[in-house]
Amino acid sequence: MKNFMQTIALLEMALTCGTLLVWLLQRNFETQISVAARIILALLLANLFYWPLDMFMELPLAAYIRGVTGDLSMVSLLLLWSSVLLDRIDPRNTEAHFVPMGFKVAIVIIAFSFYPFALGLGMLDPYGWGYASVGFLIAVSIFAAILAIGNWSKGTFIIALAILAWSIHWHESANLWDYLLDPFLMLWALLACISSVRRKRRERLQSGFLFRAG
Amino acid sequence: MIRVVALCFLLLATVLGFLHLDSHPAWAPFQAQEVVSTESESSHNAKVALIQPKSDWLPDTGAASVHAASLISLKDESLRAFWFAGSREGAADVVINSAVFNPHTNTWGEPTVVIDRITAEKSLSRYIAKLGNPVPARAADGRLQLFFVTVSIGGWAGSSISTMSSSDEGLTWSKPQRLITSPFTNLSTLVKTPAIPFADSRLGLPAYHEWIGKFGELLRIDGDQVIDKRRMSSGRSAIQPLVLVDAPEKAQAYFRQTRGSSKPHQIPVSETQNAGQSWQAQADLPIANPNAAITGVLLSNGLRILVANDLESGRSRLVMLAKDNLDTQWQTIDVLEDDEALAPEQRREFSYPYMIADGTQVDLVYTWDRKKIRHIRFDSNWIKQACSNAQAKTVSSEEGKQ
Repeated sequence: MKNFMQTIALLEMALTCGTLLVWLLQRNFETQISVAARIILALLLANLFYWPLDMFMELPLAAYIRGVTGDLSMVSLLLLWSSVLLDRIDPRNTEAHFVPMGFKVAIVIIAFSFYPFALGLGMLDPYGWGYASVGFLIAVSIFAAILAIGNWSKGTFIIALAILAWSIHWHESANLWDYLLDPFLMLWALLACISSVRRKRRERLQSGFLFRAG
Repeated sequence: MIRVVALCFLLLATVLGFLHLDSHPAWAPFQAQEVVSTESESSHNAKVALIQPKSDWLPDTGAASVHAASLISLKDESLRAFWFAGSREGAADVVINSAVFNPHTNTWGEPTVVIDRITAEKSLSRYIAKLGNPVPARAADGRLQLFFVTVSIGGWAGSSISTMSSSDEGLTWSKPQRLITSPFTNLSTLVKTPAIPFADSRLGLPAYHEWIGKFGELLRIDGDQVIDKRRMSSGRSAIQPLVLVDAPEKAQAYFRQTRGSSKPHQIPVSETQNAGQSWQAQADLPIANPNAAITGVLLSNGLRILVANDLESGRSRLVMLAKDNLDTQWQTIDVLEDDEALAPEQRREFSYPYMIADGTQVDLVYTWDRKKIRHIRFDSNWIKQACSNAQAKTVSSEEGKQ
């Protein structure tokens, strides 16, 4: 596994960049691309990022991006790939609920509780739980089970895959947190929550205007 | 149906997770060195002629700026030094150099390049802007292991640690591997001070963060991966932990202070009583520290030695301090460099000391005005004598005051 770790991580980053480009294409050109075409397009675009372009650069584009972002969590990767490439819901429709709001809120709460302590606030370091804490693994599994009970089985599959990846040391990290959460996932969840609150407020204002007693 | 499949898959993943946790090694005690009683040593040392410290320079690489030297003893009793050199600190042309000291001829061999930026980024498959702080260690299987800092974006606060190993005492090196130590895009973990061995042959690597928080951590290293870590301090006041192991369960960590101007500029201390699993802050050492690196060793005769800039600000004076047990005061036993008498603009910087002890030899390297690296070899008997002399001088001056 160790021999392929760098290659796998670079491939993941290249596919992530390709997937983001497909998402941008769909958003900007307001086109709905079939699932097969989306996958093929993402794989083709991933090649741009994976192979060294050999102009002024010593490394592939994906390596430059990876230098800044590090390896993304399995949850981020699987959520992005599955939402953009596999979901049959029209990705141009921002109202569509690819991911339940409860999951996004949970990510925001967990991240806002976790990062300050993990980055040096006090002597408690919750990041340390990710190396060998049975309690933490149980908590993550319970959280994933709640997602299935809450009728979002995709979330359960994603977290189960993240636990699997950690147990076989798929990435460089030996810490379960790194397979579950990253700052980009937190940022996405936070923006999604803010956007949802603003949309609901707008809807409430509009309905209030229409049905306000005269 | 899909829900049942998802839950079954989760159960499978969790079981595999438990199996993975089951194979995780339990926390082990420190590998503490045996302390020889001072009485038996002193009766033996009385017959031994004192060997004076010998000073020389690490070989010149032609680089304008050199910094952050470190040392390790090799199997044939020679020494290998590592340092970074380039046009300036943090420049893209900085490489990590190494050279070997022959104790029989008292000479340093030709410097070699251990790793440069391009090799590091190709091996690690990610962009790297600069290299720094090489710290060698001896792995359980006898290989040399080198930890060093890389930065992809920003200043040193954006650092990560990488490691590589050598099975031929540093002549050739494996591809570097990245250590993952922080949850926020693995930003801001650095090394500076020597690793300590655990009884199960794994390494404890003192590391530190200097981004949002400035604090120390003990990383537990198995091969080329972090398998656990514990916080040694918190807040924004202490980096570069130097760990001196007193007993299998007990150790003290001395830090470089990074406090604000209104707070005491002294050496912060943390202590563990359970082999590094938890650390408690202690009272500062009463030694001034100008936000500069310190180094130290615990000798087999029980002497604690520190080398530090004992100033509130600036790095123009470097001294060696010692104390012979936990109850006595720290004594300055040797002034290694002192430009304090010069005008401020003429003062040079003496910084980033790194010291190791092997048998009766104590070797120190430090940055000399960013242009050279100075090496001084001390005999532990000379240090012991210097400590006794300093204590006697203190006692007589206190008696004089009374």
